[in-house]
Amino acid sequence: MKNIFGILLVCMLMLGACIGDDFVDDRVDPVLRITNSIDSLAIDSSYQFEFSYLNNVGQEEQIAAVWTSGSEEIISITDTGFATALAAGSSEIQASYEYEGGRAIDIIQVSVGGNTVETEITGKKGTVQTTSSYKLQGDFTLAEVGSDLQLNFGSDYEASTALPGLFVYLSNNPNTTADALEIQAVEVFAGAHSYTIPNVGIEDYRYVLYFCKPFNVKVGHGEIVE
Amino acid sequence: MKKLLFIGILLSFGFSLHAGGPWPQKKGNLYFKVSEWWLVFNQHYTDQGLIDPNVTTGLYNTTIYAEYGLTNRLTGTIYAPLLSRNYMNNLVSNTTKEVIVPGEAINNIGDVDISLKYAINKKFPVSISLTLGLPTGIASAGSQQNLQTGDGEFNQMLQIDAGQGFNLSKGVSAYFSTYGGFNNRSNGFSDEVRYGLEGGLSFIKNRLWIIGRVNGVESLKNGETAETFSSTSIFSNNSEYTSYGAEVALYVTKRVGFSASVASAFRGEIIAAAPSYSVGFFYDMSK
Repeated sequence: MKNIFGILLVCMLMLGACIGDDFVDDRVDPVLRITNSIDSLAIDSSYQFEFSYLNNVGQEEQIAAVWTSGSEEIISITDTGFATALAAGSSEIQASYEYEGGRAIDIIQVSVGGNTVETEITGKKGTVQTTSSYKLQGDFTLAEVGSDLQLNFGSDYEASTALPGLFVYLSNNPNTTADALEIQAVEVFAGAHSYTIPNVGIEDYRYVLYFCKPFNVKVGHGEIVE
Repeated sequence: MKKLLFIGILLSFGFSLHAGGPWPQKKGNLYFKVSEWWLVFNQHYTDQGLIDPNVTTGLYNTTIYAEYGLTNRLTGTIYAPLLSRNYMNNLVSNTTKEVIVPGEAINNIGDVDISLKYAINKKFPVSISLTLGLPTGIASAGSQQNLQTGDGEFNQMLQIDAGQGFNLSKGVSAYFSTYGGFNNRSNGFSDEVRYGLEGGLSFIKNRLWIIGRVNGVESLKNGETAETFSSTSIFSNNSEYTSYGAEVALYVTKRVGFSASVASAFRGEIIAAAPSYSVGFFYDMSK
């Protein structure tokens, strides 16, 4: 009898001892963005463009972008993105990066005029939708309020109350919470509401993401668009 | 703090497999079983009854189950998961192969059930029983508080069982039993109606038993949800399922035998979508 009990115990420990690996398909297309876009550049003045590059899992990575100007006689640009307005007109400014299997690129149109005018982004928007069989839907807007970001959901927002530990995130990868900014646990499951997210820029994240945090179950997401 | 994860109700899969039917033990008789029950799942039934993936979760219980005849009509029962292990796998990036969320595990005693069963009628066996579910397990552990060996609540279940045994032919016996019960749960958990049907056939002079079961739990959905719960911590409720199970029991001596069983859900809400298994040995003084 003792032997049988011992065998059972050993079997249990052998079977239960192993924490294995679950693989998450978290690959996304890399993204390169010019982060300080301008609409126009004052003639005979210069401007340092900046960019960010998100790699194939949505993590920010330091790379050397290739800068080009469509019309070098109107705007010249160096390898580091330092642009100089030489003549009236407009030019396509392009930042790009060749990664294994593809190319990330961002293009803006810049005119040369009397003043340098930064591109003003007043807000962004999107729609969260379920990617699971748990209910989740709703339109949202994003707006910068001082140094904070405000995420506002409209009256059409609805989320399942059945999940334990539903959390909302900002992320650059819609498939994982790795490197995502956890906003907070969801407390409102229907109707309009908002979140204030301190010290976050409107260009910092690409997705609003909903996850059941304790069980790492993705519920849904919404892409943040202009 | 009130918490119930998906696995909370899974403990009841194991519990249902130990139902003793309407038959009481004779005074002084003991039925004793040691078993290993386990469940590993990477998908679950959602609140819509559909199947969604989740991080692979395992639950292993080393359990004793005993029935003892206090009188010829009154039987005391205990179900005790003496060693319960709950783990979750590492989440690993398929792109970078880096660990995104490290896996965790806990080991502890599980929730203990004790019950008293009283035989109302022995000619056509009918019994009533009261089961007390004691929150002896851990209701939340790990960095995300998502591991548990119990549901953290004290419940009381009133159950009625009925059944009948008969001989089909020489050397072949059979029985059927059914039960219905009401599970009153505390700490904001929804109450439940439980039901089941079981049938068994014996061969080789009652030394080999083949048993089939259907069990169900229907939530009254009168407890708290994530919306009404004051805390924003992990909390789920209103789990329910209909499951089927099969068991083979073989007496290797007059009183000692081995058993193996499997159970899985036909349908469910907020519950694992994977079969559970159990193997064990028993000592049956009634033989």
